[in-house]
Amino acid sequence: MESTASHHIVERWIGWTLRLGVWASAALMVLGLALAWFSTSTIHLPSENPRPTVVLHSLFSGSLDPVMVMFAGLLLLMLTPFLRVLTAAAGFAAERDRTFVVVALVVFAMLLAELVFSLQ
Amino acid sequence: MTAGSFLLLIGGGIVTGTVGAMLGLGGGVFLTPFLVLVFHLPMHQAIATSILAVIATSSAGAAMNVERQIVNLRLGMTLEVATVVGAIFGGLTANVLSGEVLSRIFSFLLLCVSFMMIWRTRHSRGISTPMGAGVFPASFNDEATGEVVSYSVVRVPWVMGVSLIAGNISGLLGVGGGIFKVPAMNMISGIPLKAATATSNFMIGVTAAASAFIYFAHGHLNPLVASPAALGVLMGSFVGVRINRRIKGTSLTWIFAVVLCLISLKMFWR
Repeated sequence: MESTASHHIVERWIGWTLRLGVWASAALMVLGLALAWFSTSTIHLPSENPRPTVVLHSLFSGSLDPVMVMFAGLLLLMLTPFLRVLTAAAGFAAERDRTFVVVALVVFAMLLAELVFSLQ
Repeated sequence: MTAGSFLLLIGGGIVTGTVGAMLGLGGGVFLTPFLVLVFHLPMHQAIATSILAVIATSSAGAAMNVERQIVNLRLGMTLEVATVVGAIFGGLTANVLSGEVLSRIFSFLLLCVSFMMIWRTRHSRGISTPMGAGVFPASFNDEATGEVVSYSVVRVPWVMGVSLIAGNISGLLGVGGGIFKVPAMNMISGIPLKAATATSNFMIGVTAAASAFIYFAHGHLNPLVASPAALGVLMGSFVGVRINRRIKGTSLTWIFAVVLCLISLKMFWR
């Protein structure tokens, strides 16, 4: 008889992914807002939405532009459900539920297609 | 953007998030009108902001409900195939329509939501489909009664159809769509109300994310608006869920149904 723990791998992994995604993105947004609040210069919105690569580059270059930090938080929030679906696929695989690995991957593929199509 | 604007956005987010969570409506239904009518944001930006807020509250709530096994995960993921398709089409459509047209459609949606709020106080299915009668069997521990509730699901194609439409509405107007999915899951498929609500909320995050990047690509996501609003709604939803546990009664539902009708008129005539 399988232990109940093995049946709930998916649930635990999904819970962790969602929590991490929400809190990390919230932290980035709070950080961005705080930087904007205490900034002495005026905040400029870019004329176009920066691509995710631009946002990441800006973050890792250490410039801490408030708008970029906020964008990073928002992008992470938008990606959290994507990660959740991927985690579900992995969790279903761990539970040896092949049907739902496929279902989860179908959903992920649609999300990914929409993402890639939008960012072109 | 002034300090006052930031505070207004956070405050507005908290209020709409609280009210939304209390009524089981999520932030979008109240946040979008707030952003348009009070903050004078263009409709597309308001929808994009709402979508982000909806992702936040859905994900936060789902984390808890999934771990408590109230969410019917396999049903939810199956229905997500439909909602994602619907949401992508909704998002693409919204970015072709004008702000005025979207406002009008939104005001019509508010009337429907208002109606559904009243309807569901009188119509819910207490007896769920027994295990073995359908697919996606599940059981959960109902904290209120201390009992273990077991059920299964019938008429999945019907619920997938409703999910497709709900996803479309979500992508088009930045709302969660739960007000349509939950009664469908409960009345058509015989899913207990708590499980239906939890499963619907779980799906909403993915549904919203499906159209989020479309709005982002069209430049409608303003981080200076979306960040404080999303944070506010997130905070408000935590408060609203706690209040929800204490307040019972349909008088609140009636009050807000009327409020939604008034907002609907405002959105139509703005």
